[in-house]
Amino acid sequence: MSFPADARFVSRPAPTFVAGAMALGVHALFVLLLVFGVSWQTEHPAPVMVDLWETLPPVTPPSVERTPRPRPEPVKPAPEREPVVKAPAPPPKPPDIALEKKKAEAAHLKKLQAIQAAEEKARAEAARTVREKQLAEQKKRALLRQMEEEDLMQRVTSEAAANEARQLKLSEAQAAASKRQAEVASVVGQYRDQISTKVRGNTRLPDNLKGNPEVRCLVKLLPTGEVQSVRVTQSSGNAAYDEAVVRAIEKSSPLPLPVERDARAAFVPELSFVHRPK
Amino acid sequence: MNPDLSQDLSLFHLILNASIPVQLVMLLLLGASLMSWWFIFIKMFSLKRALRVTDSFEREFWGGGDINAMYQRVAAERESAGEMEHIFEAGFREFMKLRQQPRLSLNVIIDGTRRAMRATYQRELDSLESHLSFLATVGSVSPYVGLFGTVWGIMIAFMGLSSVAQATLAQVAPGIAEALIATAMGLFAAIPAVVGYNRYTHDIDRLANRMESFMEEFSNILQRQVTSRAD
Repeated sequence: MSFPADARFVSRPAPTFVAGAMALGVHALFVLLLVFGVSWQTEHPAPVMVDLWETLPPVTPPSVERTPRPRPEPVKPAPEREPVVKAPAPPPKPPDIALEKKKAEAAHLKKLQAIQAAEEKARAEAARTVREKQLAEQKKRALLRQMEEEDLMQRVTSEAAANEARQLKLSEAQAAASKRQAEVASVVGQYRDQISTKVRGNTRLPDNLKGNPEVRCLVKLLPTGEVQSVRVTQSSGNAAYDEAVVRAIEKSSPLPLPVERDARAAFVPELSFVHRPK
Repeated sequence: MNPDLSQDLSLFHLILNASIPVQLVMLLLLGASLMSWWFIFIKMFSLKRALRVTDSFEREFWGGGDINAMYQRVAAERESAGEMEHIFEAGFREFMKLRQQPRLSLNVIIDGTRRAMRATYQRELDSLESHLSFLATVGSVSPYVGLFGTVWGIMIAFMGLSSVAQATLAQVAPGIAEALIATAMGLFAAIPAVVGYNRYTHDIDRLANRMESFMEEFSNILQRQVTSRAD
């Protein structure tokens, strides 16, 4: 028995490539939005170097120098034109009339003289401009040199000043450190006094005590000032007195401690304690 | 005090500097987001096409054309036909086959036709609903995955804080910022997936309703034809 061929299920190919490209596009858009839309704290303002100039001459000399330059150019063509003027002058000679000739010659002479004068003037002017130019350049060079020297001097002086400042800072720091040490020492002394007065107030002296014997104890302290343990490191010779001191120290827990970290280091976690009855 | 703390907080820098679990979470979320957008676009195209084809078929069917001619046409271009056309084709084929058999009652013929149509309808619906479960999963799970990445990143940021004496905000800020990117990515993956899922399930429901009513109406038409012939 065979089954009749039914129409098979048809799966349509979905436009997957287009959809994938669009999905990628959406993500790219979102990333772009995040990167450019949100002002991320990307850069801290970089330190800016500033050159301070005391004088600003290097800007002006070029402008001074540049202005004379165009002047010689219009003047120079004048001498070039001379031969052209001279060449047409001879033709008037052929006419016979002497007067006219003389007149023409006089005019020509005058013209020549005028031209020569103009020429000389132009030459003088050109020379002057050249001289001016040279002068300006010299001035500029001198200024530059001066500025360089000033720069150097400034650098040297600033370095020296920086050195001095550094040394000053160092010595200041040293002074501050020693000052601080002194402060810490004074605080430590203060608290030692406070602790011994507190312990002394709690001590019940035994009856058989003679003189002013010294007991050395090693006290272990918690950071809060509470007494953890007391051990006698150097006995006074009187056992009853030693015991009384130990009890007094235990009774005066918590001991007063300085708040400062450096001063506290002298007390926590171990404090060697010297006690005298009076 | 630490020069590393004043570093830049750009997006890529934050992502590259994140710890490995957080980076893995981000990668996972990026993949989920890409896939869900891909499926969203695939569904968008296929649903648009299904709606268009169904509209044109209904117009043709109710326009009073010859059913035999329509069957010929649909069977010829089966590859490009729409869902409703497939149902129509399957039902009509079954109907013709059953009618050729002698001594079959009307009920048997109509029931067979309806079963054939229903089977095709289920297959078509299944194809329409493919990938939708992925969208639902991404929509419901990726916020939690992102949250996991964020919690992990913040844990690490605070662990680093425990080893320094003076705790400042600048020491945890980069860690928390990079951790929060994971949550942002999770939400970015989840929101479109949820919107797409809801929208497409609604569209598919409406399409399914139309197909079902077509099946009923087509059965009625066939029944009428059989009874009119029999008379």
